[in-house]
Amino acid sequence: MICPLCGYEYDEKNLSCHSSCPMANGCAILCCPNCGYQIVDESKSSVASWLRKLLNKNDPKVVNIQDIEVRKNQ
Amino acid sequence: MSSCHASAPTLDPDAPIILIGNPNVGKSAVFGALTGRYVEVSNFPGTTVEISAGAVDGIPLIDTPGVNSLQPRSDDERVTRNILLDRPPRAVIQVADARNLRRSLLLTLQLAEFGVPFILDLNMSDEAQARGIAIDVKRLSQALGAEIVQTVATRHEGMDDLRARFESSRPIGYRIHYDGAIETAIEKISALLPHDLNGSRAIALMILGGDDHLLQRYAAAHADSVRDVIADTQAGYDQPLSYVITQQRFTCVDCLLNQVVTANGIRNTHYAENFGRLSVHPLWGIPILLLVLVGLYLFVGKFGAGVLVDFMESTVFDEWLIPFISPLINLIPIPFIVDLLIGNYGLITMALSYGIAIVMPIVLTFFIAFGILEDSGYLPRLAVMLDRPFKAMGLNGKAVLPMVLGLGCDTMATLTTRILETRKERIMVTLLLALGVPCSAQLGVLLGMMSMLSPLAITVWGAVVIITMFVVGYLAAQLIPGKRSDFILELPPIRIPQLSNIVIKTVARLEWYLKEVLPLFLLGTLILFALDKTGALAWLEHLASPLVVSGLGLPAQTTGAFIIGFLRRDYGAAGLFHLARDGVLNATQLVISLVVVTLFVPCIANVMVIVKEHGWKTAVWVVGFIFPFAFGVGVLLNYALRLFGVTF
Repeated sequence: MICPLCGYEYDEKNLSCHSSCPMANGCAILCCPNCGYQIVDESKSSVASWLRKLLNKNDPKVVNIQDIEVRKNQ
Repeated sequence: MSSCHASAPTLDPDAPIILIGNPNVGKSAVFGALTGRYVEVSNFPGTTVEISAGAVDGIPLIDTPGVNSLQPRSDDERVTRNILLDRPPRAVIQVADARNLRRSLLLTLQLAEFGVPFILDLNMSDEAQARGIAIDVKRLSQALGAEIVQTVATRHEGMDDLRARFESSRPIGYRIHYDGAIETAIEKISALLPHDLNGSRAIALMILGGDDHLLQRYAAAHADSVRDVIADTQAGYDQPLSYVITQQRFTCVDCLLNQVVTANGIRNTHYAENFGRLSVHPLWGIPILLLVLVGLYLFVGKFGAGVLVDFMESTVFDEWLIPFISPLINLIPIPFIVDLLIGNYGLITMALSYGIAIVMPIVLTFFIAFGILEDSGYLPRLAVMLDRPFKAMGLNGKAVLPMVLGLGCDTMATLTTRILETRKERIMVTLLLALGVPCSAQLGVLLGMMSMLSPLAITVWGAVVIITMFVVGYLAAQLIPGKRSDFILELPPIRIPQLSNIVIKTVARLEWYLKEVLPLFLLGTLILFALDKTGALAWLEHLASPLVVSGLGLPAQTTGAFIIGFLRRDYGAAGLFHLARDGVLNATQLVISLVVVTLFVPCIANVMVIVKEHGWKTAVWVVGFIFPFAFGVGVLLNYALRLFGVTF
């Protein structure tokens, strides 16, 4: 995800809801870790996900991470 | 330095392709374009760092955290380095920012030392070209001895080419020859590492650079000998060895850049870049800002709140939906239930009508316009333009960011006041946010209300709100003399937004908005219904009459809109919008109500965040100040308009 305000690139999967937010439960808002700018998480929208799938229908299928062995190193 | 081609390590047929890159190079976009979407995310063993994995053409693909160096200084860099070391990958794709090749090539030369099959992806090639940066890809490919592709991942350009290179990927041929002392040290340390170790040169360099973890992992039995080698080598340099190694790599990077990169004259003539520069110019930026605001007003106010709302309310609800469901609901034998659904304060006739027929078309057009502003790169420039008036108020530059964020959602923006240094600053910015910065939904409805007004009436509204904000901001700045700090923002290039991105973004926002507001609209309507049924609404209207009717010069029915405005300001604004469309409010009354609802008390979620961030006392103080202040400004405006005989 690239923040539309400050241009900072971040992984939305690494974000957690703000502990102070009263609507944190099931929150669909992503806050840029750099500037705080909020955008709606498209992956939490079923219609947007369907649309994205439709627009990207030629993309290859995906596999589960469990199929990919990443060995513990330490 | 010399060029020789190392042999690739033996490949595991199930080995993954690994995506590596510096932060902010569009790596996630490449991953998304290759795999279609994120699939699964899990913590890397022993750490809290998450990695994402998917597959492309049946080959596992792992997305690693962004790194600036493989000599780790953070958990992210350690995880990426360990993924490379743990299992020889089928190939490494390094995603590089074509606009900033120097930073990326430093990582490339480190990856060269691992000896893994490699493809260099020059991403954002279009933006590099737009900036006048020309890269001789063929020459770079020959100099590095590596496969190179150019992509624009956000538009899926070059992805087929990238896929086609998987099979032909090979270890980078380019090798750095460091100073004699360092090369000798590499040889000595490599000799003490396990013989079958892949990437032994890279590991030896990292150990030489001070990575004690790798020393313990690969050469614990010879730790003392390795430390002696490091100490002997370090004795020949004034700077730490890791610094010396990095500087020598940079020398090679600069040598490569001189051969393959040219910056031509496009920069000065490119329209987008010129527009981007003008849009933050102290003088020319103002007409551009005004043009953007006029465009926003025409699209959201005239088209969204005019054409679309008219269709949804007059046709869809009044002609199709209500006539169809009213007879069905009237079959219900309990009048109370019928009234609850389709009465004056009915869940269908008010909550759904306001939410779906009025607010939804307005926020739909607003979200489309906002998405275009975001994707075009104008939004950060808008923040820069706003920085100037805020600084003129005397506010700390850091206060600008929460104010800009407030245009999205005041509740979230209140949380970002944490970046301010003193408690006083945080409270004053929280107050200004709650007082006069409309959130996206409220701004949309306000634009809709403005569409019913003349330019003079809009100017009066704008002048009152801006003067009010300026006075409050100025007084706040006097109370808080704290030091000013600069507002630093990286300005992305101006781009033409992609239609599909705007559509998906708008749909996601609309779905989120409806999920969040409809329950509150239903709750607000239930409260009004209960107040109406118990006679409390009439009592409140009577009680508020001196303020609403005599003070503001508004009809008593507006009391209901102000009551639901406590739940959400946009809902209150939608109520006033509805009254204005029904002809209950004339233009002068609309301007007064517009001023009051713009400065109205924050929504309930915002109040909860203020309580959480600053405590009950502050929340009561903020609401206690804003409530009489908003109505006070409205009353003053009403009397001023009457005094000067101004009507719209």
